[in-house]
Amino acid sequence: MELKGAQVLFYYALAFFVLIMAVSLIRARSAVHAALYLMGTLIGTAGLFLLLHAEFVAGAQILIYVGGVVVLFIFVIMLVNVREEITEATRLFTRQEAVAWALVGAMTVATIIALRREANLLPPAVAPSEETALALSEDTQRVGSALYTRAALPFEIASLLLLVAIVGSVILARTRRQEETFD
Amino acid sequence: MNGVMVGWAVQETTSFVSRFVEGLTAPKGVVDFLVLSFMLFAVGVLGVLSRRNVLIIFMSIELILNAANLNFIAFTRHWQAMGRISENMGHIFVIFIIVVAAAEAVIGLGILIALYRNRQTVAIDEINLLKW
Repeated sequence: MELKGAQVLFYYALAFFVLIMAVSLIRARSAVHAALYLMGTLIGTAGLFLLLHAEFVAGAQILIYVGGVVVLFIFVIMLVNVREEITEATRLFTRQEAVAWALVGAMTVATIIALRREANLLPPAVAPSEETALALSEDTQRVGSALYTRAALPFEIASLLLLVAIVGSVILARTRRQEETFD
Repeated sequence: MNGVMVGWAVQETTSFVSRFVEGLTAPKGVVDFLVLSFMLFAVGVLGVLSRRNVLIIFMSIELILNAANLNFIAFTRHWQAMGRISENMGHIFVIFIIVVAAAEAVIGLGILIALYRNRQTVAIDEINLLKW
């Protein structure tokens, strides 16, 4: 896999966009702004998926994450009062922030060492045969056939997981008054 | 002596700049995506470990899951371009991660609403009932 020419430009644009959005997310004072930054990150990642010829996954990412999860976050922000964080006086971070920085620093060092050692072990990205870009429908077709043949059992288990999640969220979020009304 | 040193410095600087520009415009492979994914992961970990607001912690968890998804897609593309694999099982993994992330967000936010109803706060350092 090699991105060339204009694709390199797109890679840089999307990478910077995603990283700026992510950093803004963890520094945001307002939770609504954080949700919008999360949306930006997810859309940028979907763009990177398109760059990597994963059209179906990019579409699923937009539909499920941006259309579902972020909207869910915004609804919860509406239900939960997070307004006090907007004033300058409230702390945004816990007092263990130094520990978090130390951990991330150690992780960075470990990753740099690992990449320097292992990146050469990855075979060079030269395509042995002619590398043809798949048509849009072909990618979706391949994902679908793999999903319904080799991953059929996990697919069914995922449906069960979603059912349990729906029931569980209803049970978690109900109030005592609602319970008494429907008993 | 001075001229030699200046010449050496100029030569080193120009070679560094040219190598840097070369690296910037070089074709991007799987390692570049690994680096980007790591940065996204690190930002997510920082958010999870350092923020007080539970909502932002949930959003940071989504960032971490996205970094993992990016790795899966990049490696699938890499091995397909190498001709080692023809299926895209990595895409299947990503779809399942998205499903699990959605379920996790639903349950987590349900717990958050129940918690807010009982404690009137979403700051994790004020939710310390389990502390010794």
